[in-house]
Amino acid sequence: MQLDLTTPQGVSLGLLPEILLSGWALVVLLVASWRHGTAEDSRLSGWLSLAGIAVSGAGLAWLWVNDATPLGLAQMVALDPFRYAAAGLVLLSTAGAILLSLGYLERELLLAPEYYALVLLAASGMMFLAGAEDLIVLFLGLEVMSVAIYVLAGYNRGNAWSSEAALKYFLIGAFASGFLLYGIALVYGATGTTNLSLIGAQLAGGQLSLMAALGLGLLLIGFAFKVAAVPFHMWAPDVYDGAPTPVTAFMATGVKIAAFASLVRVLLEGFPSAGHLWQPIIAGLAIASMIVGNLVALAQPTLKRMLAYSSIAHAGYLLAAVWPGTRLGSGAVLLYLAAYGLTTIASFGFLSALGRHGERTVTYDDIAGLAANRPWMALGLTLCMLSLLGFPGTFGFIGKWYIISALIAQDQMILPVILVVTSVISAGYYLPVIMAMYMKSAPSDELHRDMRLFPAAAGAIAISLAAVLVFGVWPRGALDTAVQSAGTLTQTGMPVARQ
Amino acid sequence: MTQFLASIGYGQWILHALILLPLAGVVPILLGEERSAKRMALAVTLLELVLSLGLWWAFDVGNAGMQMVSSAPWIPRWGISYRVGIDGISLFMVLLTTVMMPLSVLASWSSITRRERAFYALMLTLLTGLVGVFISLDLFVFYVFFEIMLIPMYFIIGIWGGANRLYAAIKFFIYTMAGSLLMLVAIVVMAWKIGAATGTLSFSYEHLLANAGRLGSIAPWLFAAFALAFAIKVPIFPLHTWLPDAHVEAPTAGSVLLAAVMLKIGTYGFLRFAVPFFPQVALSPAVSRLVVVLAVIGIIYGALVAMVQPDIKKLVAYSSVSHLGFVMLGIWGMSVISVQGALMVMISHGISTGALFLLIGMIYERRHTRMIEDYGGIARVVPLFSLILTVVALSSIGLPGLNGFVGEFLVLLGSFSAYPWATGIATTGVIFAAAYLLWALQRMIFNRLDNPENERLADLNPRELAVLIPLIIGIVWLGLFPGPVLRRMEPATQRFVEAIRQAPGAVPMEALARPGQGSR
Repeated sequence: MQLDLTTPQGVSLGLLPEILLSGWALVVLLVASWRHGTAEDSRLSGWLSLAGIAVSGAGLAWLWVNDATPLGLAQMVALDPFRYAAAGLVLLSTAGAILLSLGYLERELLLAPEYYALVLLAASGMMFLAGAEDLIVLFLGLEVMSVAIYVLAGYNRGNAWSSEAALKYFLIGAFASGFLLYGIALVYGATGTTNLSLIGAQLAGGQLSLMAALGLGLLLIGFAFKVAAVPFHMWAPDVYDGAPTPVTAFMATGVKIAAFASLVRVLLEGFPSAGHLWQPIIAGLAIASMIVGNLVALAQPTLKRMLAYSSIAHAGYLLAAVWPGTRLGSGAVLLYLAAYGLTTIASFGFLSALGRHGERTVTYDDIAGLAANRPWMALGLTLCMLSLLGFPGTFGFIGKWYIISALIAQDQMILPVILVVTSVISAGYYLPVIMAMYMKSAPSDELHRDMRLFPAAAGAIAISLAAVLVFGVWPRGALDTAVQSAGTLTQTGMPVARQ
Repeated sequence: MTQFLASIGYGQWILHALILLPLAGVVPILLGEERSAKRMALAVTLLELVLSLGLWWAFDVGNAGMQMVSSAPWIPRWGISYRVGIDGISLFMVLLTTVMMPLSVLASWSSITRRERAFYALMLTLLTGLVGVFISLDLFVFYVFFEIMLIPMYFIIGIWGGANRLYAAIKFFIYTMAGSLLMLVAIVVMAWKIGAATGTLSFSYEHLLANAGRLGSIAPWLFAAFALAFAIKVPIFPLHTWLPDAHVEAPTAGSVLLAAVMLKIGTYGFLRFAVPFFPQVALSPAVSRLVVVLAVIGIIYGALVAMVQPDIKKLVAYSSVSHLGFVMLGIWGMSVISVQGALMVMISHGISTGALFLLIGMIYERRHTRMIEDYGGIARVVPLFSLILTVVALSSIGLPGLNGFVGEFLVLLGSFSAYPWATGIATTGVIFAAAYLLWALQRMIFNRLDNPENERLADLNPRELAVLIPLIIGIVWLGLFPGPVLRRMEPATQRFVEAIRQAPGAVPMEALARPGQGSR
């Protein structure tokens, strides 16, 4: 199916999932203004939002199944499987975050149902960001996403840490947006266009002007802030730590998915001929993130901060997958985002159940002996840790294997070696979680008694972990989807240097 | 027997059955009652043993190549298939595994009292992992099994282990993982490089082996990655520090399996992957000198450290470092005799050291101490125990007529012409072995019975005898009639040695060129 993106009809069909989702967000907002205050009302908005995700997902599926492609040049948004795959992952992570929030908000008495409208708006921003074919649309998507997340991070108003997280994220986020915007301006100045494919065509062949190179650099800095890559990661631990846990899960998955999808698209479509410029930068960011993230995570006393630093390390693995700039590399990005997203949703889901006195304070000792009292929970969290560690039999391993393959296919040996060495380091903080649960005994029988996993969250966790296992053992389907989706992307751009 | 096995299509399904049966056994154990877990586990492991014994007859003695090969596509996009097969080298590793497993289960009968379901479920998972490692013929599948078996052992040490179990468990895990992840990178590099050169991306063992010569200048790095992973597992001298911790802290079943089977994965890896893939690197003067020196250091150092251990379990643990040094020396001796000797040492070390750990576990259950000085003169109280301990210790020392002698003798004989000095020094290791074991024996079961606590020790019960007698039979049988075993491994070792000597670009070593080597 070909859509003419110059007509209003074509654009609205091409943007069907985004339009449905943002429209639904407004409906949720409307419902929330009537039904506001009780736990019941909050739950109503929550389930309504899930329905919205299903509707948007149906729109997305319609585009994907009909293989929608643009008539001529894609003007503002891309119409290719890479966008659909990324948008699908965004919707999945949003659904996961909402399921985790349902019980959590009631427990923490955060009963303002506008929360869900913000989540949906953030998700539609993410989808725009992931599918943007034009730097202006990219910026709009980024801002829609970010503003909603700033508010969500500070949703626990009574909690000083949550407020600090929001303020910090807002200030740093504004800073990052500034970099990105200035980068867009410079690129526009150098090429006279904001469309990614046209930028790519403009820059092809000739030497990159200083202005364009500077623009590319600023864009990369902006993205590095958003994905929390070292050395632009300083905000991440505090923000992840302070935000309500379902929001942290949303930030760690949704924002990363959208930002990485966008980064890959910008680099491969906009700057395919400048690989010699951005590849060293990406490699440097990847190496720094892998090393710093994993080493600092070792020293964290609480689980939430440990997961925050581990997410920096995973950003490093993902950046390593961006480095080749090939079909394999982009496929690896998608696949790893899926593996990481599923596992992270489940991990934060467990964490929100563990932290009935505030998740910030859950230490390794607080989960001692969990296996004896809550065998299923301990088993699930073990699976999460093994998948994050990249252990065979889990989806996380398939993801890492794919990244390593994509790098080696380009004759890159340094990044894979650093990746596996830092993965060994990560065993030093993932294993103690398992160790505490299984090999230590609880200081008192009371410790785990009042721990509750809410049914909706349990459902989300169960589905995620089932997927982690199924794709870990039988990765064919996920793999083929990732490779095919990624294939369409690189075909539009020029081959990257060194390919 | 052979005809019967052929009539039921044994060769076609046995390898899959050996992998799947323990996994299937996990389900009823987890769903069943706590009390019946050990019976279920014993039934499953015995069935596995009976099934695997057919391999002895079904195995085609004259065939040097892989037998009973079968494969199914797994991840075709990456050229990965589930592919298994067996040859004269892996045959005995599989049998060693399936023999030791029911004995370990039986040995845990009364010593494991907490979380029995979990324990036996992990034991069966471990069995799948171990069998899988030895029969997989696809590097991806091999890697998966290599890693998978870490998890059960990690839990077995960490939950049911001794006082310092947490430290030992994490050290074991991280050491092994550090090596194996670099090997993972090497595997992927190999497959992609060979894929680029041949046009076929495949992780199949035969494909990689046939084309490994095309790797060129990167081969030394790849060899280093493989060698590191396996050297940690063996363990070779400076990388051995995880071993005493893990072996001592693990419960009896864990120590037995670690020593009898898991250490062999390292030497098996050298025989199967590291050396055949990169013969020119492995046989280059620098590498072979390094390996032989480290092997000899391991032999002597392990023996000397074992001698001063006050803890009998630690003594046996260090003796493993010494014995595995012989295996490494035998592999690098690179003659048919020495490689066969290395395989024999692997088998007999598995049996003897496994039996030693079992005996230590039995006496520990009675007395709750592993200190040698707490015992003394117990031969009069527990004569049966002392008799068996003596026989096993003598076999571990390498007394002619018992199993330990065959392997070490062949290793020394086969390696002498290649490395006369190293072999000469290694021979003293045999003497040290006699020293530390006989001295320990003297202090434990002879001397005066001066500790009143030892006076009421119970002798071995029927269950414990059922564990030990098969091993004693093995010790004597292998010592007196090693022929059938050697015959089965000969074609495969011959092929191994010839393939390596004929490898293009292999650095011919003077010793290898000498006449009279390799023919028996």
